[in-house]
Amino acid sequence: MRITVALALVALLVSCQNDEREPPTSEFSVFEVPAHFPDPVYDFDGNPITEEGFNLGRKLFYDKRLSRGSQVSCGSCHAQVHAFADHAVPLSVGVDGREGKRNSPGLYNLAWTEAFMWDGGINHIEVMPIAPITDSAEMDIALADLLDYLQNETEYPQEFGEAFGSTEISTSNLLKALAQFQGAIVSDGSRYDQYIKGLYIPTEAQLRGMALFEANCSGCHGGVLQTDFSYRNNGLDADFTDLGRGRVTQNSADNGKFRVPSLRNVALTNPYMHDGRFFTLEQVLDHYSEGIVESGTLDPALTNGIPLTENEKEDIIEFLYTLSDFELLGDLRFSEPAK
Amino acid sequence: MVDATIAHFSYSHQQIRKMTIKTIKLAAMAITIAFLSSCSDDDDKTDSNPAPEAKGNMFIKFQHVWGPAQADFNLNTALVHPGSGEELQFTKLRYYISNIQLQNANGDTWIEEESYHIVDAENMAGEEVQLNLSDVSSGSYTGISYMIGVDSLRNVSGVQEGALDPAENMFWSWNTGYIFIKAEGQSNASPNGSFTYHLGGFEEPFAANSSMFHDFQGATLEISPNDNPSVHLIVNPARFWHGGFSTEQTPMVHMPGEMASDLASNFAGSFVFDHIHN
Repeated sequence: MRITVALALVALLVSCQNDEREPPTSEFSVFEVPAHFPDPVYDFDGNPITEEGFNLGRKLFYDKRLSRGSQVSCGSCHAQVHAFADHAVPLSVGVDGREGKRNSPGLYNLAWTEAFMWDGGINHIEVMPIAPITDSAEMDIALADLLDYLQNETEYPQEFGEAFGSTEISTSNLLKALAQFQGAIVSDGSRYDQYIKGLYIPTEAQLRGMALFEANCSGCHGGVLQTDFSYRNNGLDADFTDLGRGRVTQNSADNGKFRVPSLRNVALTNPYMHDGRFFTLEQVLDHYSEGIVESGTLDPALTNGIPLTENEKEDIIEFLYTLSDFELLGDLRFSEPAK
Repeated sequence: MVDATIAHFSYSHQQIRKMTIKTIKLAAMAITIAFLSSCSDDDDKTDSNPAPEAKGNMFIKFQHVWGPAQADFNLNTALVHPGSGEELQFTKLRYYISNIQLQNANGDTWIEEESYHIVDAENMAGEEVQLNLSDVSSGSYTGISYMIGVDSLRNVSGVQEGALDPAENMFWSWNTGYIFIKAEGQSNASPNGSFTYHLGGFEEPFAANSSMFHDFQGATLEISPNDNPSVHLIVNPARFWHGGFSTEQTPMVHMPGEMASDLASNFAGSFVFDHIHN
């Protein structure tokens, strides 16, 4: 096998010396579909992950030069120590101290995500970064200006050339590099995953919490990713200052609805809800148990709330802790590269 | 599946060694073939394609006019709307033309590949903006079809290139999809003194892309290697404010919805075939 590869490499080297530079074809396996996960939504066949492309995406993700005045990077509000959510703040701060409108979610398992943002307005992982890059409260730079800027930096043209075969930096290659990096971030190293694989025995409280979760929460937070990817009004407000899904669909029946998030790493990604109003898991469970607010689009499943005793809440929280993937927090493949 | 696995486990070391040698031989053959094919000279290509289909060049010319009188239309020029009397001027008019096809009398169709173009009134020469289509199959064509806007597929398939590059600023970042038509300018009647129409949306019931077909009304477009014929279409931006629309009532549309769909459909209704120039 090794001989075959070596021969192939030699053949490649000698056969095409005069050809123009071609994109790398080396095998680089940073993305693997966990056996207990569904099929991913994003098809990397159209954007094959290479070591060069992935590392370029990783560098771009952590590079403040992607914002006006080199103020913030993607990683500023998506920190690995918080499972790529923000540093426990309700709303994130972009250029010039401008505050955004919604809570920054953790970034993992994006290859399984059909629609992005709290309102699902963005339909593809490749075009997702355009929103934070161009938003005036986030990175606030026009794509054309960013491309110009990167083109004139010393190292980027060469690195794009190594990744995509062209030193001319295009929107397409910029976004494909970011998709290679962000799409490859898989969170499957939690105790819950180990339990599924038969490698972890939960505590009594965790098992009780799991059963309560199945009975009370899995109607929306079902499956191995704990989400049905729907949009629902979970009873936060009687009136909506943020229309959520309704702003995207222009359908008033969707007003006040937001994406049901995956609960993976939920204990690492506080605060909670689209506006980060709840700081603790206790507050979240209190809300579902006693705090549901009536409104026209309230999810029918929550009309009477989800009454839970204090002990039951504690058990559910014990279970939610098992969804934390501490391997992800220290995975050097995804960490900020050395300068 | 199971049988294969069992069979695999029953291989002896010798068999596996034979197989490895076989694999290397196969790989060597494959590499040799790859070697030969990857470094072939360019003139091989013409040999393998001895009778290339004759191709030609053509233009589609979009002539912008104003109102039923077909008065002059220019950016940054004072206009009076013939219906409402509103005084306005355009600072921007850009729109996508995509999925261009030509029909000939036999019912055959020539389909442009990667058929995505932006018509930008900034690029008007005289009254016209022209799109250049190359590698059109030679023949006599009797009609043209195209879309004003972008098909739904390209709105949901991730990052695109060329005219569909999001850096063209005809793209919504927060609600994925192309802005099919951008019309901006000033108006005395508008509450904020301006009008801003960013029209798009590829989903029913408010899809804002329009499929168009024009019969050449007895004329034929003759495509051949040495000619540069053109199809002349007339576009009338005054038509945005048709069916009760005005800048006073509707100064701004910048997301998909009923308003965007209606305004886009008004604009599409202004596209008419004028003549062929062979």
